[in-house]
Order: sequence, then C-alpha cells, then structure tokens
Amino acid sequence: MLILGIAFVSFTLSQTGSPSAQMPDNVKAAVDKACFACHNTASQNAKAKEKLDFSTLSGLAKAAQIGKYREIGETIENGEMPPKKFLDNYPDKKLTAEESKLLIKWAEGEVKNLMKK
Amino acid sequence: MKKFRIAGLILAGIFIVLQFFQPELNRSGLGDNSILAKEKLPEPVAAMLKHSCFDCHSNQTNYPWYDRIAPASWLVAHHVKEGKKQLNFSDWGSKDVIDKITELGKIGDEVKSGNMPIPSYVMIHRDAKLSKEQTEELIAWTVKFSEELLAKEE
Repeated sequence: MLILGIAFVSFTLSQTGSPSAQMPDNVKAAVDKACFACHNTASQNAKAKEKLDFSTLSGLAKAAQIGKYREIGETIENGEMPPKKFLDNYPDKKLTAEESKLLIKWAEGEVKNLMKK
Repeated sequence: MKKFRIAGLILAGIFIVLQFFQPELNRSGLGDNSILAKEKLPEPVAAMLKHSCFDCHSNQTNYPWYDRIAPASWLVAHHVKEGKKQLNFSDWGSKDVIDKITELGKIGDEVKSGNMPIPSYVMIHRDAKLSKEQTEELIAWTVKFSEELLAKEE
C-alpha cells in the first residue's frame, strides 16, 4: 500500500510537479514562480496549457519544441507573459528584469541545442 | 416629423462625406517572397491559405464591395495592419528556418483553438470558413512541414 502510495505520488509529481528535469535550478525557479501554475497538464486554464504545457514539452516532436522555445523567448521579451490581468491579482509573480533575461537566454539556448541535435 | 427628416439627411450627408476618406488598400501583390512563391505547398493547403488567411496575413487583400465602404473599410484596414504585424505570408522568404517553424507552430495553435480565422471575419466572408476536415488537414500540414524544414536543415 505504502509503495503504491509512493509510486502514485511520484507519478503525479512527474506528470505535474516539476517543469522539466533538465532545467537549470535558477530557470526552474523562475518558471515555477511565473509560468508553471497555468502551463502544466493539470492546469484549470485550458487556453494556457493548450498553448504551452511544461509537463509535456520535452515529449513533443523536435520541430514543435523549437517553435515553443522560440515563442517562450519572444513572449517574455515582448512582456506579454505573465498576463497583465494575472499580475494584477498576483503582483509578486512578476518576473524581475534578471529573471526575464535569464528565461529569454535559456529559451534561446534550448532552440540552439535542439537545432544542433 | 420634419426634425427626423433633417436628422436623417444630416446622417446621410455624413455617410457620403465619409466615403471620401478611405484607408490605403493593401494590394501590392502577394510577391516573389511569399510562401506560395518560395515553397511547394499541397494544393488544398495553398487554397486554404488563399481563402482564409491572406486577406489579413499578406500584401494582397481581396476586398469585396462591402469592405470598401466607410466606416467598415477602416475596420478592415485595422485588421489587415494587425494581421500583417503578427504574420505576413508575403515575407515568408525572409524568415530563417527557426522562425518558419515557430510560425507554423503558432498557425497550428491558432487554428486549433478556433482563434483563427477570426470568427467575425468568417461570419461575413463565408468562403473563408474552414470545415473540421480542412482544419485538421491544415494543422497536420503545419506539423509535417515544420519537420520537413528541420530535416532539410540537418
């Protein structure tokens, strides 16, 4: 029973609990803070998870991943995410300038890595 | 009664005067750099892009007569301007492979979610409507084509 319980918890975690194992810690922290709440498989926000789901991102075809990472970078660069309405309710979720820069650089790095593979 | 007639005449006058103030038309042609000129697309996909996308996402808008009457013409001009800012199929040849793949992903997402073609546009321009099968075909093409573009790069 206990083993089943642990297996279930770890399964749930692997589905929804962490954005991606390969993310550097500081990137993961920023994604957890500002993105992951809406952009994961268990999210209630259908529109957000349809557009981008960090839980399944690494399982997409390579071309699709490249597109998504490029879009992540663009969206943050344009200041479109997190959305203004969301930030009105959760002002502490706003990305700092350093966090934005970090995410943009990370996303572009992922694009380059995928292109090389 | 006379008051209403005068008001009606004034409104009609304004309407007529408005017609002399028209936005510039987006009719410089699809161009040599367009997706149709640069890529070999399956015929049904090319037809869908032409009928459902190019009015706002290229340098060649097809204006039915009712799109030329102010103030509707200004609304159309605004949509075209915004649409081209997001994606202009006439500039396709200038994009690098990553941008092309990204655009294809966005096209798939927008069509899948029903955001595109814009429902109010489809309501008036009936031939722009995509059937369920067409939508699926277009989405499948975005996936397949982006994989092809990537494979060509490697």
